[in-house]
Amino acid sequence: MSADSRTDTRKLGIAVIAVASTIVAKETSASLEEMIFRTTKKALDGIGLTAKDIDGVVLAGNDQIDGRVISIMPSAGPAGGVNHDTTMIASSGDHALIYGYLRIVAKQNKRVMVVGWAKPSESVDPDRVELMSAEPYLLRPIGMNETVAAALQASRLLGDEIPKIDHAQILAWPLTRKDLPARGDSVFVAILAEEGSFTAGTELAWVIDAGWSTSSYELGARDLANLESLEIAYNQIILRTPYASAENWDAVEIGAPSEYAVTAVAKTLTFGADIAVNASGPLREQLTSPFVLGLSRMMRAIEAVKKIGADKKNVVAAGIGFNGFAGQGAAVMIFGGNKEGKND
Amino acid sequence: MTTNEKTAAEVKNPSNRFFEQTWDLQYKHALGSTVSRFLDGLAEGKIWGRRTTDGRVLVPARSYDDITHEKTGEWVEVANTGTIEMFTIVYEAFKGLPTPPYALAYVMLEGADTALVGYVQGIDLHDRASAIAALQIGTRVDVRFAEKPAGTAADYWFELGATPKQ
Amino acid sequence: MINVGIAGFGQSHFQTTRTDVTFPELVKEGADLALADADISIGKVDAVVYPLAPDALIGVSNGERWVIDALGATGKPFMRVNNGGATGMSAVLTAWTHIASGLFDVVLVAGADRVSESGSAQSVLNKMWDVGYERTVPLNTITMLALSAQRYMHLYNSDETDMALVTVKNRKHASLNPYAHLRTLITVEEVLATRTLAWPIKLGDACPASTGAAGVVLVSEKYAKKNGLKPAWIRGIGQNTETFWMGNRVGEKALGDHADADALGYAFDIAYAQAGITDPVNQVHVAEVYAPFSSVELHVIEAARLAEKGRSPRDLRAGKFALGSEGPVVNPSGGTLCTNPIAVTGTIRVGEAANQVLGRAGAHQVPNARVAIASAIGGDHQFYSTMVLCSDLEEI
Repeated sequence: MSADSRTDTRKLGIAVIAVASTIVAKETSASLEEMIFRTTKKALDGIGLTAKDIDGVVLAGNDQIDGRVISIMPSAGPAGGVNHDTTMIASSGDHALIYGYLRIVAKQNKRVMVVGWAKPSESVDPDRVELMSAEPYLLRPIGMNETVAAALQASRLLGDEIPKIDHAQILAWPLTRKDLPARGDSVFVAILAEEGSFTAGTELAWVIDAGWSTSSYELGARDLANLESLEIAYNQIILRTPYASAENWDAVEIGAPSEYAVTAVAKTLTFGADIAVNASGPLREQLTSPFVLGLSRMMRAIEAVKKIGADKKNVVAAGIGFNGFAGQGAAVMIFGGNKEGKND
Repeated sequence: MTTNEKTAAEVKNPSNRFFEQTWDLQYKHALGSTVSRFLDGLAEGKIWGRRTTDGRVLVPARSYDDITHEKTGEWVEVANTGTIEMFTIVYEAFKGLPTPPYALAYVMLEGADTALVGYVQGIDLHDRASAIAALQIGTRVDVRFAEKPAGTAADYWFELGATPKQ
Repeated sequence: MINVGIAGFGQSHFQTTRTDVTFPELVKEGADLALADADISIGKVDAVVYPLAPDALIGVSNGERWVIDALGATGKPFMRVNNGGATGMSAVLTAWTHIASGLFDVVLVAGADRVSESGSAQSVLNKMWDVGYERTVPLNTITMLALSAQRYMHLYNSDETDMALVTVKNRKHASLNPYAHLRTLITVEEVLATRTLAWPIKLGDACPASTGAAGVVLVSEKYAKKNGLKPAWIRGIGQNTETFWMGNRVGEKALGDHADADALGYAFDIAYAQAGITDPVNQVHVAEVYAPFSSVELHVIEAARLAEKGRSPRDLRAGKFALGSEGPVVNPSGGTLCTNPIAVTGTIRVGEAANQVLGRAGAHQVPNARVAIASAIGGDHQFYSTMVLCSDLEEI
């Protein structure tokens, strides 16, 4: 990105004005569309708005997880997208949140509703669905899925130190169930709005900045211990917004392929001494799906701003997500309690 | 404008290999209580709709309306007879879909504000001109129900109407 | 207000199959062609937006991850759009947002499709319908548009000959376009004699399943000026969404009839308002509008406000909308009807429209074209994208 195109995001004033989520281990008594409808209604009702008050809808869903080819079709309606500009960012939930933010930065929309979901309980075999994202020539025959890829990455992150692991608990060495994100049905909604289009003081968090990047699909072409997408995504932010650097973060919520990768994030970025890392809980305690794992942690980062911000006006919290096998892509969003961010 | 200059020889190289694969993903889709009740209704010979906040009766029944973005309310049983709003007759075989010919129609049942899709049975589709004429928009049809319902939308279909319009 | 332009467009010669490349290699072809045409290297690209409609048609879930190397997107901000058939243009609009935000100056949108490689395309597309109510009937893209065509004929007293006129026009145009897939001339009688797929849609009314790649490069005004580029400027954009339920589009209480494309009309109105177009018939020179079947072009022309509702057949019969005629020319490239690689079909509309206003369309150039529109449709006539392009930034 050229130095000329830096934009001082401090002036813009874009906030998260509502959030809602539905998280269930296996939702058997409501359809996916009903879950999407209820969660969007919850977000809108919470701030006294209707779908008519929104001027852009951004969705994120994966066709194969849910068993709906072109999943934007049945989901646009329940998400409030009829008679709206509706776009599906199908690469991951965190990309959708970032794109919703870009819509307002571009002054294309004033209020954007972002809806991301995954309902793995619709699949008889959700691991098999993950197998389908392996290219068919080399990776699929060896049974690549998110767990196996996370394990390969973890094996690189171990280095020389082999930890004590109960072999009976191993799913894919060196990972046990407790190292991995938990699976469940989840829908996340965030409403973003431009300053002036909501009652001042009602915002949950300001969006300070966002960065995202990706790397080679070939696992053999990268050192999985090196979180290169994260570094590049983070550097995009720092170049534009120096005060959003990691040592100033009060909290960070990380949705990574394994707890080993979470630790690696802490080593890649320089956190401050008092930072709360995944204060909302470890990966194994939050039911979700890799497709919306990053989005779910960005939602937690927004909650952290609200919570910590009760006592500390200049709170800054980051949400980090990864997408693709062994964190092929990474996304970072910075939220703050103060539109102006920390004073330098 | 740049061009893609592949030679004919390159494109037709006989040693280019292929990889065959089939996706075999199985799903068990949760339908929710509204769709479930509609499907139960088929076993009782009933077609159910639900009313939106702006007064429209949605058939088949849905728990929310995508135009108002509000929950629906009142359950309304609609008539088992109505008129064809649009139809087609499929003559082409598509892999994985039924053997043609077959006729599909969207039918506005009396009491409903949206049309219901289904097969139209009992017409000789091989005589194309007369089949098309028999299915014209406005034609009355009746709903028929399966004697041994399977609990899916295949438990109903349409046949040309015997019931005159009320 | 940051102005955004199309600085380059590349496309394959489209055909039924390509046995010489893997899917990533085909995607690379689209990226390379677009960048070469823009004369911008991948190193100068700030972000990539990737169009890919159903994963099932290429056989890899989240297939965008597989092609990142091919796109040259490693180390760059990257996201994928899936708006069904509108994807190729929705991705361009997503890229527009990237540049309009001020955060990026150069964005690549490139991709590919190989529809015929999935032997079961219509069976795959049967799975886009409602899980509880619509999977037990064999709805697919052909039947959904057959229903629309039937209603149009009924409402406007039109017939299959009117549909055939569109095919005749577009094949004539495609015969002048070396990149198009179906390029043979055809007569109305020949169209009417082709076999019926789903009445009234016949083989002669239907698009082919095409394989190939395409891409565009978008630039900011600042970048264009700094580098002496003359892009096709995007003067207006509009997107809108219709109800998913085809049964909602009939009867007295319908918001819009399935015979028409009212929701597309509203999307065009938004783009026209932004561009300052008040009299489309006289101000628009070229329309590259997504219409995979001949019948669809009839109501898309009307949604674009280039003909009154129900009147496009009359205008077509009078020779309008064809190369060489007075007034707007519709689909001088041959359109989607002659070439349909689903994921990038919307991108091709943008590129063709851009070429027209820049005078680079070769044998299918509309003389003195300055203003062009482009549109795409996704889902069951559910998602609409529209754009207005112009060779300059002056008042239209």
